[in-house]
Amino acid sequence: MSGSREVKRRIKSVENTRQITRTMELVATSKLKRATDRVYATRPYAEALEGIVSGLYSPALSEKYPILRRPDEERRAAVLLLTANRGLCGAFNANLIKEARGLMDDLRARAIEPELHVAGKKAVAYFRFRGEEMLTERVDIGDNPSVEEAESLIGPVRERFETGVVDAVYLVSSEFRSAMSTPPQTRRILPIEGDPEAPPADHYILTPSADVILERILPSYIRNVVFTALVENAAAEQGARRSAMKNATDNAGEVLENLKRTYNRARQAQITQEIAEIVGGSAALE
Amino acid sequence: MASLTVRVASPQATVFDGEAAAIVAPSWDGQVGVLPGHAPMLALLGAGVLTVDRPGGGSEAFHVAGGVLKVERDTVTVLTEYAGDEPAPEGAFEAFDLAEDAED
Repeated sequence: MSGSREVKRRIKSVENTRQITRTMELVATSKLKRATDRVYATRPYAEALEGIVSGLYSPALSEKYPILRRPDEERRAAVLLLTANRGLCGAFNANLIKEARGLMDDLRARAIEPELHVAGKKAVAYFRFRGEEMLTERVDIGDNPSVEEAESLIGPVRERFETGVVDAVYLVSSEFRSAMSTPPQTRRILPIEGDPEAPPADHYILTPSADVILERILPSYIRNVVFTALVENAAAEQGARRSAMKNATDNAGEVLENLKRTYNRARQAQITQEIAEIVGGSAALE
Repeated sequence: MASLTVRVASPQATVFDGEAAAIVAPSWDGQVGVLPGHAPMLALLGAGVLTVDRPGGGSEAFHVAGGVLKVERDTVTVLTEYAGDEPAPEGAFEAFDLAEDAED
């Protein structure tokens, strides 16, 4: 029976697909574990550094250092978008690209010219296809991002801010709330916003002095914001991939169940027909 | 006996988190020692060895490079660009332009 053979072939193909998606789910689960550990390991440093920067920052210092510059109006803004190098992770990359496009439309509506800096093969391919100009195209940052990679990514952008080419820097990346919840988020990382509620550090012994410490610490602060964003993004990607592959595996199971039912029904129909033919044949002989 | 609560963190990891009797850190202009009861302080770090003396005797040492040291109410937070058992790789922190103008 050609019908049942066809169904059998499809069952085999779906089984193979399910095997692949299940393996990818397992791989993503183990990578997610390691990536999540890295996310939690970066947090103490990031939180403590943020506290120190907020404590030292005062608007009066902004006159002296280019990195503290507070432009009166934004004319040009850098958008740094972090996506994944690989697909098959659900809407992860699409969500980030959508967030970045929304931000750029918003900036244009406020008469601010956006410029794109992109990390991740998926967004690079997307914006290249759309013919958007990108000033940075990075596809070499992997699952385990390093501080050096963060520096090489943000360094040139920071320089553009310091020299006044851009008046603001926005960072679009995934927030790693949990493995299941990784919404895209936009943060303005430059100019630096002091936290007005942070306790001021004026009762400290400061060596060498507040402004020198700040001048030294700020580049590493900005770099660290990008570094933690890269680390969180890597974890979020694995989380998204695990969910996507789990759904794919579950769906494949459902499809298989239906196909098997169809196959068995076809087989049973064939047997019934053969019996009917035999019975009919022997009846005709009597 | 009063002791310090010390946390040493690099961007990638927390390398030390615990009690200490004293610490000696490589500040931007030389070694700086911190004992319990130290006044609040923020200091830039250079590159060198950070020593943490345990309350019960014995000590631990880490190589650190760059970053900042914060002391407040017997809590010491060391945030460093690099922390590990080996000295920071030569030239690795040039790009971050830290700790190179100690003679200023």
